[in-house]
Amino acid sequence: MSANVIASRSYACQECGAELRLPEGRRSVACLYCKCPTVIERPGSADAPAPALVLPFVVPEAAARAAVAAWKKKWRWFHASLAGAAIDDIQGIYLPAYLYSAALTSHYRCEIGEHYQETEEYETTENGKRVTKTRTVTKTEWRSLQGEHVGYVADVMVTASRGLPNGELGAIEPFDMRLLRRYQAALVSGWASEDASVAPADGVQAARAEAVRIEAGRIGAFLPGDNNRGLEFQTHVDRESLDLALVPIWTLAIRPDPKQPAQRVLCNGQTARVWGAERWSPLKIAAFIAILFAIGEGVWLALRAGGGG
Amino acid sequence: MSVVGKCHRCATDLEDGDLRCSICGTIAPALDRVVGEVQRIVRCDECGAAVAHRAEDAMSPACRFCRAPTKIETPQNPMETAELMLPFVISSDRAVVAMRRFLGSLGFFRPSDLSRSASVDSVAAVWFAAWIFDARADVTWAADSDHGSGRSDWAPHAGRVKFDWRNVVVSASRGLARDEVHKLIPAYDLGQAAPIAGASGGQVESFDVERSAARQHVLDAIHTIAAEQLKQHHIPGSRFRKVNVSALLEGLTTRRFALPAYVFVYRYEGRPYRAIVHGQNDAVTFGTAPLAWGKIVLTVLAVPAVIAAVIAAIALTR
Repeated sequence: MSANVIASRSYACQECGAELRLPEGRRSVACLYCKCPTVIERPGSADAPAPALVLPFVVPEAAARAAVAAWKKKWRWFHASLAGAAIDDIQGIYLPAYLYSAALTSHYRCEIGEHYQETEEYETTENGKRVTKTRTVTKTEWRSLQGEHVGYVADVMVTASRGLPNGELGAIEPFDMRLLRRYQAALVSGWASEDASVAPADGVQAARAEAVRIEAGRIGAFLPGDNNRGLEFQTHVDRESLDLALVPIWTLAIRPDPKQPAQRVLCNGQTARVWGAERWSPLKIAAFIAILFAIGEGVWLALRAGGGG
Repeated sequence: MSVVGKCHRCATDLEDGDLRCSICGTIAPALDRVVGEVQRIVRCDECGAAVAHRAEDAMSPACRFCRAPTKIETPQNPMETAELMLPFVISSDRAVVAMRRFLGSLGFFRPSDLSRSASVDSVAAVWFAAWIFDARADVTWAADSDHGSGRSDWAPHAGRVKFDWRNVVVSASRGLARDEVHKLIPAYDLGQAAPIAGASGGQVESFDVERSAARQHVLDAIHTIAAEQLKQHHIPGSRFRKVNVSALLEGLTTRRFALPAYVFVYRYEGRPYRAIVHGQNDAVTFGTAPLAWGKIVLTVLAVPAVIAAVIAAIALTR
């Protein structure tokens, strides 16, 4: 069962001869009739580079179904009739994502707070008399600090598929980068896989924004002192690189209500972390709050009755 | 596990099997050999068929043709082994002499018969494991120190320093303590290093860590070394806290060394002590030794007695 490697949109399955068409944007498919895997080798273009890396699937289909079922159960009460929805068509797909890395240099300016202790006198009433006492209080001395912070940032992942917004990919991150492999047709054969549909230039924009967010956290942890405020920084990115990777994701649609559009649910193919476009049921949430109030009021009344008696 | 190239972003050594640079994450250029190794991952060991890597295979891998189990290879993470070693220059006889001389040179508060009465339990000629690295680093730091402090004990400082490290040693030894390694290191002549061959008359300590753990260890050590050097030369003040270091490393080259030393275990009045003789320079000899408690107690008692005698003498002459 060696993977067919072909170069056109329409092809005959090498195993059973069925005439198949590859959907737009797909890189690999399995034959509808005999499941024989096919991988399309297309040279990368400026807007849709060829994948350089693959993160292989670790979670098998049964485990992905179980993870989604557990996720559904956890939130079923609040969701609009999610409990009744069936999980049927679950599909493993290699989605394209850009991996970004760069050298960062930031200039920051902030105020650093250093604590010190001071004893102060205060007046209080003790046994009906005014007395003066002392106590130790912690005060903060503020000083301005400016400096630089440098470092590499690697493994910043942003979506390269128009079908999967960055927020949804972020919701099932992280992936285990130790399992990264160099791309080979054999690794994705038998799976559905997608070509990049986000141009590298757009990928870089999104990744830079993400890198600056990471840098903000790093600078926050880097600052000395007991406290800090008014942090301002500017980050310069240098020596950037962007590589296309294929990441393993189980996708399925849940349709709780035949009249409404299906909800997408994603499951990380490495960690089984599940995310879904959760649609909350306003009626049930209102009922939940009402029940909480009722219980609170009941307790309060009981306490008052107890105190009065 | 040899160096196969340099990262084109930060010039760090890339080793055989590396997919990405360990410092900056840049993808290594493809090598024909590495690709060959990846292909094995999806091949059945039994019949040799190229088996598609599918999800159900991940849990109970079986070849679709012959039902033999396929091997899903875990990512390559080889064990570290020494690649270079230095020869012993000091013979074991000379090492014994050096150890006896060391025991005789410890001063008044040691037993006077220590050098004569110590019985050597064992002498081991060992090559201990150490990483030796070169790197250039652009280091930014921020710290609190007592310099310029006002009402609080601390004042914040920040700065940026460039380091160019050559032949910095990071101990990988489990047999020798860190401070022992630091005493031994300066006396080695790294120019004599030769590729490791069959070691005779001694044993080579293994690194006992995987490559990824080793790299993390070396990186942590680089941060510690940077923080120490910053405290000594760059951060103003004499007391420090919250010394934070962030660096852009370039051209990190790490070599795995096996370095020679003699480890003695000797007994004095039934108790074991340890002495270490440098394998290349017997002037570097150190270790633990018993104290002569009798002499210490006598001294402690004698000092007030002498002072009292002096005061008494002064009082009498008045």
